[in-house]
Amino acid sequence: MTDPPPSAKTPSRLARLRRRLSGAAALGAVLIVVGVGYTAAASAGTPGGARAATQPQDSVEVRKGRHLYEEGCITCHGMILQGVQNRGPSLIGVGQAAVYFQVITGRMPVARQEAQASRKQPKYTPEEVDQIAAYVQSVGGGPVIPGGNLRDGDLAEGGELFRINCASCHNFAGRGGALSAGKRAPELTPATDKELYGAMLSGPQNMPVFGENQITPEQKRAIINYVQTLKQTKDPGGSGIGRLGPVPEGLVIWIVGIGALILTILWIGAKS
Amino acid sequence: MSEREGSQREREMSEREGSHGSHPAPIERQLDRMTPAEAMRAGAELDGVHIVHKRERFPVPGTKAERRAERAVALCFVLTFVAVVAFTVIFIAAPWHYSLTDNSYTWFTPLLGLTMALALAGIGVGAVLWAKWLMPEEEAVQDRHDGRSPEVDRQTTVATLVDGWNDTGLARRSVLKRAFGLGVGALGALAIVPLGGFIKKPKDELVSTPWKAGLRLVDMGGRPIRPGDMMPGSLATVFPGVPGGLKAPDAPTMLIRLRPGQTVQPRPGQEDYGWEDYVAFSKICTHAGCPVSLYEQQTGRILCPCHQSQFDVTLDAKPVFGPASRSLPALAITVDADGYFVAKGDYREPIGPSFWERP
Amino acid sequence: MSDRASLAERAADQLDERLGLAGGLRRQLNKVFPDHWSFMMGEIALYSFIILLLTGTYLSFFFDASMGEVRYDGSYTPLHNVEMSRAYASTLKISFDVRGGLVIRQIHHWAALLFLAAMTIHMLRMFFTGAFRKPREINWLIGITLITMGLLEGFAGYSLPDDLLSGTGLRIASAIMLSIPVIGTWLYFLVFGGDFPGTEIVGRLYILHVLLVPGIILVLIAVHLALVVMQKHTQFPGPGRTENNVVGERIYPIYGAKAGGFFMLVFAVMALLGGIFQINPVWLYGPYNPAQVSAGSQPDWYIGFLEGSSRIFPSWEIHLWQHTLPPLFWPTVVLPGIMFTLAALYPFIEARLTRDRALHNLLQRPRDVPVRTSLGAMALSFYLVLWLSGGNDIIAAKFDISLNATTWVGRIGVIVVPPLAYLMTYRICLGLQQHDREVLEHGVETGIIKRLPSGEYVEVHQPLGPVDEHGHGVLEYAGAAVPKKMNRLASAGRRVHGFFAPVEEPAPVEEPVMDEELERRELAGRPSDPNA
Repeated sequence: MTDPPPSAKTPSRLARLRRRLSGAAALGAVLIVVGVGYTAAASAGTPGGARAATQPQDSVEVRKGRHLYEEGCITCHGMILQGVQNRGPSLIGVGQAAVYFQVITGRMPVARQEAQASRKQPKYTPEEVDQIAAYVQSVGGGPVIPGGNLRDGDLAEGGELFRINCASCHNFAGRGGALSAGKRAPELTPATDKELYGAMLSGPQNMPVFGENQITPEQKRAIINYVQTLKQTKDPGGSGIGRLGPVPEGLVIWIVGIGALILTILWIGAKS
Repeated sequence: MSEREGSQREREMSEREGSHGSHPAPIERQLDRMTPAEAMRAGAELDGVHIVHKRERFPVPGTKAERRAERAVALCFVLTFVAVVAFTVIFIAAPWHYSLTDNSYTWFTPLLGLTMALALAGIGVGAVLWAKWLMPEEEAVQDRHDGRSPEVDRQTTVATLVDGWNDTGLARRSVLKRAFGLGVGALGALAIVPLGGFIKKPKDELVSTPWKAGLRLVDMGGRPIRPGDMMPGSLATVFPGVPGGLKAPDAPTMLIRLRPGQTVQPRPGQEDYGWEDYVAFSKICTHAGCPVSLYEQQTGRILCPCHQSQFDVTLDAKPVFGPASRSLPALAITVDADGYFVAKGDYREPIGPSFWERP
Repeated sequence: MSDRASLAERAADQLDERLGLAGGLRRQLNKVFPDHWSFMMGEIALYSFIILLLTGTYLSFFFDASMGEVRYDGSYTPLHNVEMSRAYASTLKISFDVRGGLVIRQIHHWAALLFLAAMTIHMLRMFFTGAFRKPREINWLIGITLITMGLLEGFAGYSLPDDLLSGTGLRIASAIMLSIPVIGTWLYFLVFGGDFPGTEIVGRLYILHVLLVPGIILVLIAVHLALVVMQKHTQFPGPGRTENNVVGERIYPIYGAKAGGFFMLVFAVMALLGGIFQINPVWLYGPYNPAQVSAGSQPDWYIGFLEGSSRIFPSWEIHLWQHTLPPLFWPTVVLPGIMFTLAALYPFIEARLTRDRALHNLLQRPRDVPVRTSLGAMALSFYLVLWLSGGNDIIAAKFDISLNATTWVGRIGVIVVPPLAYLMTYRICLGLQQHDREVLEHGVETGIIKRLPSGEYVEVHQPLGPVDEHGHGVLEYAGAAVPKKMNRLASAGRRVHGFFAPVEEPAPVEEPVMDEELERRELAGRPSDPNA
């Protein structure tokens, strides 16, 4: 049987459908290619080729952390934690330790760019902090603060370690000290055990990083024991006047000592 | 006569005679007739002291005001007594032994200080109030006898010295004088020469440290260090792995692991002193010898807390701020066959503060 | 006479037969001392020295001046089994294992700080009132020497416990010695018996601190006081006061009671400080270790100016031939040398410049010698900039200022602030002088406003003495304080009662005398004048 030749002017319905279908197929193919290509290219930009997006098997913690991250951290630290020039460093590899320390002490989110981020009222609750930390850990890995009692270390050994590694910046009693050009080694008074561990482990800003092979977990616990014990023990000689050494002592002798004695001699002696 | 009548009379006496009149020294039989107050004034006049004004605080004895003042002063002394009792009780009975858990012993020293202060202040305030409220108000004038000694004394003293000098004969006996000078001078040397036992010749201790080739870098606990024990951006204090190395005061060294991206511009001749991203510098500050210690890992500055000298690790520990004038000496390090850090030799320049003989 | 009196009489008799000192005793008891309040600052120094001797003797029975190493086994748990010198361990023993040891130790250290502070304000009082002028230059020199000895004594004393803070200071001292040209290394090896720290230094500092320097200080204090007794104390100009007398109170009993009471009060303040303010907590610093240091390391306050000069002096190292002149030499050896030499020579410099060879027993009010006062203010401001720079890292940390900025503030301040202080002080002195003369001329402001018939308001002034035909006072300024308030009038020479504020006795109220006849008439409403 012979089909009538298709008219040049009116393509058959089937032909139109075929054209539409092939067009859609072509478009779909292009989209898939571009999409895969983009994803491959984007994921190639991250070290180790880690996938930036969360995996379907990630925990609830990590997902919640990701949401929080995208709300409050992404502007300075980037979509895939790669950091943004002149705003924030990369968070790949910093680990839960760093994130926990920075966020629970309120240092992050930082209020403005300055010589050093200071402790302030934290923006997130402890649960939220753990979530953000879990997310960052899941993306880039890094050191993790262990659980358990972070204070059961040898007290005297902790003191020796503290004096050789920490006192030069933080002062013999952890009262803080000046670093160059506006930076500061802060007072350790408000720090909790976990914060101390996290700081030692992650080396925030200009603080050196004390890895677990340099100062072992036992040694870190010893240091924390020493710092917290010092904080809790009252001064046996009266008021510690800041535990800052001879400077407040000099102020006291002049203001209180000489002051009281000048008042006394004004009382005893005649005026001119 | 009564004390008060007597003092009334001697006041009249002094008013009549004038406060700066000179009085002949009272002879003994006059003294027998004087009251203590009059005799005191006479004696004061002997010392050139004229009592211009002396008035009882309470001319009428037994007033309520006087009794109040006396009670107030007495109370101060009683306060001392009470405070000493309290001090003693606290000293004997209060807890004072150090305890890690119970802070009650920390009250011991403050309470002792407080009670001691109250006891002493009681006497102090009491004595001052006694003088101000109960003792007579007095104003006295004493003559000064300043200036040169009387001419007689000056001349006779000079004459005595000159005559004595002439007696020694040293003026004309030049042999004796010279020999005496020699001997006495030598005596002075005798006092000084034994002090030579203190003198020690400055030796190589100033220019060398215990570091030698092959010695391991160990931490405060004596543990040797491997690369990889330290994270990037960290600082460890290391010592030479020899007996006594941990205590040698010129040996402490800073082992620094640089951050990725941080590089060191080494001094000429020291290009191979570091090992990969590790560098080692003497911890003893070249300004005044404190351990330099404060490492800012991001800026690469090593800050000394004593006088705020700052050394830049990327410039091979060159001083960039503060009073230090020399870079921290660098220790050449490498890794031995077992994978531990070792020194390649001693520091090639004296560590620590500069001194005169240092080129 | 009671038995007791005759016993005292007999005892005195026995002594006098042997010593014949009755006249001498009377002379000393009758000595007159002026009692202006500012004359008691030297006493603070004397009493704090006595307190130092007493508490120091106590401490010396427990302290072990040995650098031998020992493992700690006392009560202070955080240092358990830590290796330390015996000196440090014995200091911990005094602080934790001797009942009451800590309070005595703290009183000792506070008294040391007070000793230096008291000597400083005493020296300033001498300076600003011109008490150092002839014939008292020798005492001024002795005083400067006493301050130097005090600095040395204090440094030696706080270095004895061999703790981390003072050991760091000792290290800096050794570097200062090293920085001296030619003899530096020899001096260093001599003092430490070898390389730093060696095993000798604590023992040597101990003998210096308990025997040599206190001995020198005692002798100097004795001579210092003997000279004051011999030359008699100076006094401010005032009524009845001349260059040839001393107006005041006799030592026994009135002045002595006040002085004794003051001793007790100085001791009381020291005891209070020793109890309620902790000082030098060596257990927190840890034992000295040359590899360790604390942030915020400072010496005791009186060495602070040297700490400051070391911090702000630039890193100018000089190389001469094959030798080095380190930068530490200038701020720590040359600068204090110049400062103390200038201070010691000042009386002679001023005498030469003012061509003043007369004897002076009357003091000068600071405003009346503006050049000297301004020079003193300049020196003081120089010292203060250095002192503050000594604590610049604590200031930077506590007030959130850049550490580098504080160093620069010190560097620039030490040059700029003293001349500014000179200018300001000079103008203030002149202003005060002018005001004195203005009050002498125009009288004291009474605060009473009067309206003249012409409508003008004037304030009534109370003249201080006779006035000339223009109503201006003819009294000359005589060097004494000019009364400037109504309640000070006629009080020159009389003590003002009241401590925090002058207590004025209310003026007597005159009872009106009433005529009974007059009263009855007035009450009845009749005219008061019966003859009207």
